[in-house]
Amino acid sequence: MRRITILFIGLVVALVLLLSSVFVVDERQRALVLQFGQIRQVIEEPGLNFKIPFIQEVVYYDDRILSLDTATIEVTPADDRRLVVDAFARYRIVDAEQFRLAVGVGGLREAERLLEDILNPQIRAVLGSDGVTSDAILSSERAGLMERITEQARLRALPLGLDVLDVRLKQTELPQQNLSATFSRMRAEREREATDERARGEEAAQRVRALADRTVVELVSDANREAEITRGEADAERNRIFAEAFNIDRDFFQFYRSMAAYEAAFGGANSSMVLSPDSEFFEFFADPMGNAGLAAPVAE
Amino acid sequence: MAGNSGGPWGGGGGSDGGDNRGDDDRDRGPRRPGEGQQIPEIDELVRKGQEQLRVLMGGRGGNRGGGEGGGDGPQIGRGGIGVAVLAVIGLWLYASVYSVQPEEQSVELFLGEFSSVNDPGLNFAPWPLVTAEVLEVTTNRTESIGNSRSGGSDTGLMLTTDANIVDIDFEVVWNISNARLYLFNLRDPEATVRAVSEAAMREVIAASQLAPILNRDRALIADTVEELIQTTLDSYESGINVVRLNLDRADPPNEVIDAFRDVQAAEQERDQLQRQADAYANRVLAGARGEAAQVLEEAEGYRALVVNQASGEASRFLAVLDQYLLAPEVTRRRLYLETMERVLGGMDTMILDTGDDTGAGGVVPYLPLNELLSRRNN
Repeated sequence: MRRITILFIGLVVALVLLLSSVFVVDERQRALVLQFGQIRQVIEEPGLNFKIPFIQEVVYYDDRILSLDTATIEVTPADDRRLVVDAFARYRIVDAEQFRLAVGVGGLREAERLLEDILNPQIRAVLGSDGVTSDAILSSERAGLMERITEQARLRALPLGLDVLDVRLKQTELPQQNLSATFSRMRAEREREATDERARGEEAAQRVRALADRTVVELVSDANREAEITRGEADAERNRIFAEAFNIDRDFFQFYRSMAAYEAAFGGANSSMVLSPDSEFFEFFADPMGNAGLAAPVAE
Repeated sequence: MAGNSGGPWGGGGGSDGGDNRGDDDRDRGPRRPGEGQQIPEIDELVRKGQEQLRVLMGGRGGNRGGGEGGGDGPQIGRGGIGVAVLAVIGLWLYASVYSVQPEEQSVELFLGEFSSVNDPGLNFAPWPLVTAEVLEVTTNRTESIGNSRSGGSDTGLMLTTDANIVDIDFEVVWNISNARLYLFNLRDPEATVRAVSEAAMREVIAASQLAPILNRDRALIADTVEELIQTTLDSYESGINVVRLNLDRADPPNEVIDAFRDVQAAEQERDQLQRQADAYANRVLAGARGEAAQVLEEAEGYRALVVNQASGEASRFLAVLDQYLLAPEVTRRRLYLETMERVLGGMDTMILDTGDDTGAGGVVPYLPLNELLSRRNN
């Protein structure tokens, strides 16, 4: 039994030694082997690695792309219009040794603080530099500006052992106190548009009505003209018919027409007439034989 | 399959009491690493050690029978060993075999190093050398951006190039196109998709005018943003595939939406006014056309009337003339008399003799015209 106990203790000790001398670095990690604070080994490739138990310790760092969202800052572009800006950065620890030297034991949190201290001035510098107006930020030049920020930030972050892959602006907004002014302006623009729409509607309506009224007058007067022409033609036709008929015997026409006219003119019961017995009508009134002869009425 | 051979071996070592074996192990342990660090050897050692430990701990109960009778090898001891071995193998298999669902893929790491991507089905990752990570690959995931206004963050409000503000809500639907890149390249994929999407949308909106965003350019913007997101994610080698982008809302902010609605109302009003005017025009024009037709028809009627009248009169005249020419004197006289008869028969007549033809009578006739007229009026 003693042997077994000794053997067991020996095994446990061997196992502990073994386990504490072996470590695995994951695909997603990099590792530093520290010996009493001294960097002995930088491990960049994944796999199984060894260290001296108890004397050396391993510090792991993330090898993936890390993200950082900056706090919102106000920038003043060249045209003095203030903008509220925030950004996010994507970066990666490329040099674990340098990272450790620069950041110390603070790790990622410290690194983020340092990186944000680099980013914010760079954003301010690029967006506030000469010739960059707020209009440029709010245009397709934005991509170019973001590249400039990325370049500047990358140069400054390299000493931290960080590679800044990408910096992108998220918000580029007006400060809160300018919002209401912008909203009023937007409202005013819409009101202008609405008024314009209504006025144009009225204009078009009036135009249509006026045109309709004009067309009415044109149509009616045109019809009247046509009608007068027709009436004129009718009268002309009438005259022609009469002339044609009456020209056959003018003399009889005069007589005949006079008779018709007398009848029409005096045919009513309301006329009074004073006659002399001498008149043609009374030819036989006093003298049955007649005194004027039959030819007398013709002389008229 | 090195693990498999280690299992039985370790089990045997534990139950055999194993003085020699134990010494052997201790001799081997320190020596090997010193000679040359051959990883498989070391793995084996580690594994053996672990297996031994496990058997020692688990097999304590059976130690009495197994340890004492190890040399003799009685029936019961053998059975116990067999059960222990089987249990160990079973546990090990349980830890090593895993299944991958249809929507998933697994990424296997051999001692932390990428070894393979595996498709759905039963997979084998011998513990503890190989570790497997199972990911839902084809499942669509959704990031909603901009509709968190109620939560206090106004991420939906974006500034356009003409300094207007537009309220945008959209969703990005994505899945994993490359499990290996996805797993190893991004620490926080969801947050990255969100941030990249928001930045892309704001970039595109910042380069657009307000009016087209609100209506006709919506599809174009969705496409452009989707492309931009995909390009950016590809530049990170993220292994993420953007399936689609749903532009849920692109409206003016609530503060000004009434004014925008009023514009729409005004547009409708304009339309209404125009239609009303059109209606008026149609009505009036139709009336005018009717009136014109009436006037023209009346004129035609007049023409017919007058011409017919004239023709009739002329015909009558000609008919009378024909008869007249047969006997002019008599007809003329008759016509005269008949006419006078009709004319004088209908009126008040008064015959006044002015004397003989010489005109010497000398009576001035007094004509009481007023009396005559009044009488007639009665």
